[in-house]
Amino acid sequence: MIHLHKVSKSFSHFQVIKSASLTIDKGEIYGIIGASGAGKSTLLRLMNLLETPDEGQVEVNGQDLTKLNSKKLRQARQSIGMIFQHFNLVANKTVYDNVAIPLELAKVPRQERRNRVVECLQFVGLESLLDKFPAELSGGQKQRVAIARALANHPQVLLCDEPTSSLDPNTTAEILGVLENVNKSLGVTIVIVSHEMEVIKSICNRVTVMANGEIYDTVSIEPEGIKQLSKRPNWFIEQLIKDGEKSHA
Amino acid sequence: MPEILVQYQAEIWTAIIETFVMVGVSIVAAVLIGLPVGTLLFLCRKGKILENPFVFSVLNLLVNTIRSFPFLLLVVFLIPFTRLIIGTAIGTAVATVPLSIIAIAHYSRLVEQSLLDVPKGVMEAAISMGASVKDIIFKFLFVEARSGLVLGLTTSIISFISYSTIMGVVGGGGIGDFAIRYGYQQFKTDLMIYMIVIMVILVQLIQFTGTTVSRIIDKR
Repeated sequence: MIHLHKVSKSFSHFQVIKSASLTIDKGEIYGIIGASGAGKSTLLRLMNLLETPDEGQVEVNGQDLTKLNSKKLRQARQSIGMIFQHFNLVANKTVYDNVAIPLELAKVPRQERRNRVVECLQFVGLESLLDKFPAELSGGQKQRVAIARALANHPQVLLCDEPTSSLDPNTTAEILGVLENVNKSLGVTIVIVSHEMEVIKSICNRVTVMANGEIYDTVSIEPEGIKQLSKRPNWFIEQLIKDGEKSHA
Repeated sequence: MPEILVQYQAEIWTAIIETFVMVGVSIVAAVLIGLPVGTLLFLCRKGKILENPFVFSVLNLLVNTIRSFPFLLLVVFLIPFTRLIIGTAIGTAVATVPLSIIAIAHYSRLVEQSLLDVPKGVMEAAISMGASVKDIIFKFLFVEARSGLVLGLTTSIISFISYSTIMGVVGGGGIGDFAIRYGYQQFKTDLMIYMIVIMVILVQLIQFTGTTVSRIIDKR
């Protein structure tokens, strides 16, 4: 599905990615983890050419993106969804209009657009909020809108750049659940970049560890499943004193 | 109504209309040319989607040069050019030429500034969705920057009113020119003060409208 072949990328003489190669199969939930500055975000951004590689090939859906002209590349990007740490919604557009953008870009007729937008919002459980603006939503809801927007054009691949890193643990679990559902019920291949081990362990089936711009190792794992956290105040107390003595201040 | 205003009623109305014509043409020039120029300035910057150091430097230098002229000198300096396109060097139509030029330079800079406030992430999302340059401009940039664009235009319009007051030098007329010729040069101080009051009211109205509109359309 995605194949990076010896890609390298430098930013002003600093080599961020050093001749990295990897293959991601159809239907996988693929994790990329590593320390800050290891190059994991850049590696992900190479997959839709948000960063153009200095060397190497980027193949997605059987097309070498580095060889496409700008029009073909734009078309290819329409079937590669992407979500971000800070959601990157258009703040002056409603939830509905945000999800409708990719459909407008793909020149989907207005009538079909409406159905598809509602369908996508139903999928992420936000169909009741379509008239709201992003500023009126919580972080988790914003990320759901971003997922709905990324899904609108029936992408084959969903790239996730730190999708839960600005969310609290409960919301993280919620979003991971949505992503898992995107993978299971729609068959979308998912690539997740995260610095949070818990996130990667919970839903990924294969994980690449990056260090200093290189692929350090890739391992297959059995996803542990998403840990459901409780909102009960007592749950927090239990977690706090699990390993020690209870002593009220 | 004060007697002096009744006495000069016809001239005052003419002056007001002249000011509206001069400022109106400036606004049209600012929107039709200043907005695209400002957008191009933004898009040609380093790291932006149309990065082009040559186009950026040329536009940047041009805008800076026009804006560094003391406006009175720009008007005089442009007389030969104005004569070339209008065919005469005197009148309200003539005044609209230098006003439009300064309007374009003024507003394009404010447009560039507003667009710089659009979060980088929104641009990235647009590119990742496969948006073309045209889509990025109209479906993302202008949508996100719209309240800044309106506020910038408001500031610009108020500057245009101020610039229009000196157009007496090329016979452009307008409220400012009227106030100088009748109020100042003929020692009718009360008439001058009435003209200033008209200008103050006009500016207040424009600022109020601009601020209100920009607040209503800002959903961020």
